[in-house]
Parts: sequence; structure tokens; C-alpha cells
Amino acid sequence: MRRALAVLAALAVTSCSSPAWDHHDYALKAGMTAESAASDVEFVRLAVQHEPDLTRPYLKTVLTEAAGSLSSLNDQFGAVQPPSASADAMRDQVLGLTQEAAEQVQDLLIQVRRDRIADPAGAAAALGEVGAELRAFGEAHR
Amino acid sequence: MKKLLGVTLGILTAIGGFVDIGDLVANSLVGARFGMSLAWVVIVGVVGICLFAEMSGRIAAVSGRPVFDLVRERLGPRTGLTNLLASFAINLLTLAAEIGGAALALELATGIDYLVWVPGVALVAWLVIWRVRFSTMERVFGLAGLALIVFAVALWQLGPDWGELGRQLTSPPESEGAPTYWYYAIALLGAAMTPYEVFFFSSGGVEERWTRRDLGEARANVFIGFPLGGFLSLAIAACGATLFLPHGIEVGSLGQMALPAAVGLGQVGLVAVIFGVFAATFGATLETALSSGYTISQYFGWQWGKFVRPRDASRFHATLLVTLIIATALILTTIDPIKVTEYSLIFSAVALPLTYLPVLMIANDPDYMGVHVNGRFSNLLGTLYMILLLVVSVAAIPLMIATKAGQ
Repeated sequence: MRRALAVLAALAVTSCSSPAWDHHDYALKAGMTAESAASDVEFVRLAVQHEPDLTRPYLKTVLTEAAGSLSSLNDQFGAVQPPSASADAMRDQVLGLTQEAAEQVQDLLIQVRRDRIADPAGAAAALGEVGAELRAFGEAHR
Repeated sequence: MKKLLGVTLGILTAIGGFVDIGDLVANSLVGARFGMSLAWVVIVGVVGICLFAEMSGRIAAVSGRPVFDLVRERLGPRTGLTNLLASFAINLLTLAAEIGGAALALELATGIDYLVWVPGVALVAWLVIWRVRFSTMERVFGLAGLALIVFAVALWQLGPDWGELGRQLTSPPESEGAPTYWYYAIALLGAAMTPYEVFFFSSGGVEERWTRRDLGEARANVFIGFPLGGFLSLAIAACGATLFLPHGIEVGSLGQMALPAAVGLGQVGLVAVIFGVFAATFGATLETALSSGYTISQYFGWQWGKFVRPRDASRFHATLLVTLIIATALILTTIDPIKVTEYSLIFSAVALPLTYLPVLMIANDPDYMGVHVNGRFSNLLGTLYMILLLVVSVAAIPLMIATKAGQ
């Protein structure tokens, strides 16, 4: 019984952090992570641009979702082991970008929880930059 | 004049009641990802639901009995049981998704986590089913769901490139593969032809004591109300195609779906869309919960319905309550309601032939229908749809596996 539970636990852990078969597979996973993160960042950028048209509870909810999604993407890709030394650089680049995006969204969420976003135009521009980098990375690794 | 008012009210109710969480999720997601290239599926789905809803309404009006009541009698207990199990399982998933959707709408309105709202939504749904008259319940939430027309107004305000939307009708994005395209086509068809709609429509006909004289009104609801509901679905997809597709945004939450209304119409649009989403999903919560009670009670031959006192239909009300509790517990596990919706659409598609074949058979049986059996055109179209639904049913699960559920 204990052995069966141990096998189940091991399976559960390995299924959470799916391994990459080779460099190509790892690059595809990195590209997909970047594209998903770019989608979240672009949505937040659109929402921030139209901040006067949005209610605070709505903004808070969508920012919470985006922050959770980015954090989850970061954790999931971070758990995939890079298969080679060259994949290490790719790992650092993607995790750096998703981490930066998650921090920017978290920062906006804090502002919304307190009041409103202090500088929507500046925040949208910053999100636009990180979003463009993520998109470019994703397109390069399809 | 009173008759005309009744028909108009019925049509408006059908439009507002057509869109539920499945339509919201599938159309918004598909519009953002595939543009308008899957709009044809909505049209195929609307023609299909009109065809089979008209048949089931006619069955109810002519025989005075709903479809599921006749399934066991016509197909035998074993086939009827298979039908019942498949329909009930999908209904349960759909009910969970609708409760989650209503709770998510409340989260968007208040900023309080949707899980806090889930038990309250289920409790109020049960109270409404218990206390409110069938016709009042249907009309209030159907009409409130009309607030989703805000998607059509927002689309106009967003000022889309109509030529580009038209071009998308025939050309899917090159970045998407064929299996993913067909996977979402099946999800959209599942959304437009959700099985509970037929059970609810025919049982509702009996609840409202339809007779042959009401066939005209029932047909007006189906042939005018449902296509206009389909138009709302297309407006939701077009909003996604206009606002999200150019930015590469993949829609994965109700909050994201609501943004086009805010961008197009400001806070008024946002409030209207959140209200509309709540009305549509809460109304569908009532319909799916009732459908669960209807199907089980009708199969086992128990007294059912809101047209009798609860003490006379105790097993019907007990079934309904237990189903509500199970669906609520499912959503309280913190499973994502949007994911539940996506899976329920695919499993709905798998079960579509099981739902619609008995409708076609009974509507064709002179013993039940007398002179009101299907005409040649209905039979031809019905047969073509059965072939299509069989293909969809066989392809749905392999496509789900091949595309990792549309990734």
C-alpha cells in the first residue's frame, strides 16, 4: 500500500514538471511559455490603457488573474530541467522576462488595491516593452 | 394584441436565454484565436438547435409529454438508461460550469473571490426553483440576459474593419493547425446545441401546458428567438476578433471576455455586460438544474415539474437538490469553471447523437404525433444532422487528445 502511494506521489510530481526530451523540445516549451505570458501581458496592457473605463473591482479581478497566470507559467517552466548548457541561457531569458512581467502586474495590483493606477500611460508603455520581448521570443521559438 | 405581446415576450426571452456560459466561453475564445473563420459553425449549430427544438416543442404540444418521458417507452429501458446516464453527466458538468459562471460574474462586480459566492448562488438558485413560478422565472432571467446585446453595440463602437472580419470568414489564421481548428469547431457546435436546451424546452412546454394551439408561438420562439440569440454569439466572437486577435491575446477568463464592452462603451458597457453574464449564467443554472430533475424523473416515471406542488413531486425536487449540491461541491474544489465549461462542451458534442436521435424518431412516429409528424424537409435535414452529429461525436475525443484540449 505504501509502495503504491509512493509510486502515485512520484507520478504526480513528475507530471507537474514535464521533462524536455531534447534541446528542440525545450525550445518549444520556452516559446509556448513566452507566448502565453505575452498574451497575459498584452491583456493587462489593454486594460491599463482603458483604466478610466473600468471599475475597480473588475480591474482588481483581472489583474489578480493575470498575476496568478504569470506566476504559474514561471513556476511551470522553471520546473522543466534544461537538457543542455545552451538551454540554460534560454531558461534564464524566459524566466527573466516572465518574472519581470509578473512583478509589473503585481505592482499594478498593489496600486489598484490601494486606490487607482498612478500612471496608466507609463505602466502601459512598460508592459508593452516586456510584452514585445516575450512575443518576439515566442515567435522565434515556434 | 395580448397574443402578439405574448409572442414578442417569448421571442425576447428566447434571445436572452440562448446564450449561456458555453456560448460565452466558446465564442469569445474562438473569436480571439480564429477570428470569424468559425462563424459558419455557429450558423450550423443554430439551424440544428432550431430544427430539434421545434421537434421537441411539437412533441410536447401534441402528445402533452416531454421528450425524455417518451425515450424509455420508445427505445426501451436499456437504451433509455444509456441516454439518461450520458445526458445527466453532461448536464451535471454544465450545471457546475453555470454556477461557476454566475459566481465569476459576481466576482467581477464586487472584487470578492468567486468561491465565496458559489454556495450563495446555488442556494438562491434552489430557492428560486422552489418558490418562483416557472413562467416568471423563465421570463425574468431570459429578458435580463438580453443585456448581452451590449456586445453587439460595443462591436459597433469598437469600429472594426468590416472588410477584415469578412475576409476572416473564409481564411483561418495560418498559425493555427487544422486539428485545433476542428477541435474548436466541435466545441462551438457543442455550445450551440447543448443537450439540456432540448430537455428544458420540451419539459417547459409541458410545464406551461402547451397544446396544438400553442405551436405557432413555440415556433416563433424557436425560429426567431434562437437565430437572434445566435447573432449575439457572433457578436461576442466578433468582439474577440476585433480587440484580441490583433494583439495575440488568448481569452481564458470571463473577465477577459468582458473587456470589449468596456473598451467600446466605457463603464456603462462593463456594468451591462457583467449584469448580462450573471443573468445568462444564473438563468442557465436554473434551466440545467431543472433539466437534471426532469430527465431522471421522466425516465423513472416519477411525478415531476413545477406545475404540481413540491409535496406531490418530492423525488423530482430531491433529485434537483442533490444535483445542485454535487455541482456546487465540484466547483468548490477550486477547479477552474472555464475549464469545466470547455470540457463540458466537448463531452456534450460526444453525446449529441444520443440526445437528438430519439427526438427525430419520436417526431416521426405517427402513434405519438398523428398528423403532426415530420415533413419530408424536416426528415431530410434531421437525417443530415444525425450524420454530422455522429461524425462530430466520433471525432471529438481523438481531437481533444491530439490537440491537448485545444492548446
